Amino acid sequence: MKKVLSVLLVLGLVFTLAACAPASTTTSDSAADGSLDAVVEAGVLRVGVKEDVPNFGLKNTATGEIEGFEIDIVKLLAKEILGDENAYELTPVTAKTRGPLLDNGEVDLIIATFTITEDRKLTYNFSTPYYEDAVGLLVKKEAGFTGLADMDGKVIGVAQSATSKEAVNKVAAEKGITVSFSEYATYPEIKAALDSGRVDAFCVDGSILGGYVDDSTMILPDRFSPQEYGVTSKLDNIALTEAVDGYISGWLADGTIEELITKWGLNY
Amino acid sequence: MKSSNPFALWRWEKMFGEWQMFGEGFLRTIEVAALALILAVVLGVIFGVISTSNNKVMRGIARVYVEFFQNTPLVIQVFFMYNGLAIAGLRLSVFAIGVLGVGIYHGAYVSEVVKTGITSISVGQVEAAKSQGFTYIQYMRYVILPQTIKIILPPLTNQAVNLIKNTSVLAMISGFDLMYMADSWASSSLDYGPSYVFAGLLYFMLCFPLATWARKYEERLKRNDIARVPFDPSEEAVTC
Repeated sequence: MKKVLSVLLVLGLVFTLAACAPASTTTSDSAADGSLDAVVEAGVLRVGVKEDVPNFGLKNTATGEIEGFEIDIVKLLAKEILGDENAYELTPVTAKTRGPLLDNGEVDLIIATFTITEDRKLTYNFSTPYYEDAVGLLVKKEAGFTGLADMDGKVIGVAQSATSKEAVNKVAAEKGITVSFSEYATYPEIKAALDSGRVDAFCVDGSILGGYVDDSTMILPDRFSPQEYGVTSKLDNIALTEAVDGYISGWLADGTIEELITKWGLNY
Repeated sequence: MKSSNPFALWRWEKMFGEWQMFGEGFLRTIEVAALALILAVVLGVIFGVISTSNNKVMRGIARVYVEFFQNTPLVIQVFFMYNGLAIAGLRLSVFAIGVLGVGIYHGAYVSEVVKTGITSISVGQVEAAKSQGFTYIQYMRYVILPQTIKIILPPLTNQAVNLIKNTSVLAMISGFDLMYMADSWASSSLDYGPSYVFAGLLYFMLCFPLATWARKYEERLKRNDIARVPFDPSEEAVTC
C-alpha cells in the first residue's frame, strides 16, 4: 500500500510540475509579446474552424475545401495581416478540441462559433463579436411540439461546450417545466440522436440549426438568450488579439461583415 | 489576473467544487463495468467451451460470434445499438447499451481466453475422464474448467482492465459515465486540463490494482511451477 501511495504521490508531483513549468514561461512571453510578429514571420495565419456547421464552416465534399462565413473572415484577416488572402491554414476543430489546439500553439486563432461568456474571458481573449445569434430548438414535425412549454420532461440534445444548456434551463425554469439534457461532441451526432428518437429536440444556436432542417423536422419559433461569437486567441497573445479586434471592429463599422452575413444567408 | 495556464491551480479548485459530477460518472462507470464484466465472463465461458466442442455447427457459431465482435470497432457497435436499433424500434437505455455493448464485445475476447485455457489442458485428461464415464458437461465442469481457471486468470484480468477502460465509449452516446462527465466539464468550463487528468486518475485507480494483482498472481504461479519441477511421483500417478 505504501508503494502505491508513493507512486501516486510522484504522479501528482509530475502533474503539478507540468502545470508550473509552462506558467513561468508564459509570463516572460507576454512581457515581450511577439504574437503578431510570429504570425507575420511564419507567413501563414493558422486558424481553427468548424467543418460541420452549414454556412459557418462546412467542408465541401466535392472540393475538399472548408467554406463558410467564418472562413471568409479568415481570408479577410489573412489579407490584412499578411497581405495575401490565401496565406491561411485551416484546422477543423470541435467544441472539445478548440481549446487545447489554441493552448498548445497549433493554431493562432479560433473562429468557430465560439460563444463569448464572462467566464470564458478568464481563459481566452475574445474579439468584438462578429455575429449574434439566439438558441433555437429543432424538433420532429410528427412530435407536435409548438414551443418549449410543451416539452416538460423531455430530453434535449445539446453540443458539448455549448452555452445552450444554461439558456434553455433558465427559460424552462421560468415556464415552470423541467427538461433533461444529453450532450454530444458534434452536431451530426445530435441530429442522428433526434432522428432515432433518442432526444426530443436538437438545441443549438439558430443559425447553425438552419443547416439541419429537413422534411421531417422543423424549428420552433422560441428563441433564447442571444449569444455572441468572437474570434478567440490565447490570453497572452495581446498584440495579435488587438490587431484582430481592430479589423473586426472596422469591418463591423463599414458593413463588410454585414455583407458576408447576407452572402451566407445568415440574416434570417 | 489569473493564470491562463490550462493546469492553473484555480482551475483545479473550480473543478473540485463540482466533484459530485465526477462522483456520479465514476459510480456509473463502476456499475456498467461490473455488470458488463459478469456478462462477458458468462458469454466467454459459454462460447469458449462451445468453440472446443466436436460439433462443427456449434464451433461455427462460436467462430462467427468471436470474429464479428473482435473485428468491428466497439464504437460502431455501440453507435449502432444507440441509433440503429432505436430507429428499428428497439430503444435500449444507455445503461443497458453500456452493459450489453461492452459485455458482448469483451465476451468475444474472454471466449478466446477460455478456449486457449481449455486447449492447454492435455487431451489425456479428457480421455481419462471419459474412460471413467464422465459426460461432456461433467468432465468440463469437474475436470477441465477448474484447471483452466488458474491458467486464464491473468489474461482474464487484462480483459477486465480493458473492459473498464472501454466503458468510456459511453461518452459518445451521452452515457453519463466518467468520461462523459469529464468531457462535459472540460468543454463547458474550458478546464480540460484538470478534468481529463482527474478522470484519468480515477480510471487508473480502478485498473491499476486489478492489473497489479494479475501480475503478482502470475508471478506466483510461475514460482510455484518452478518449485514443482522436481518430479513428484505421487502426483504423476494420479493424473495418468
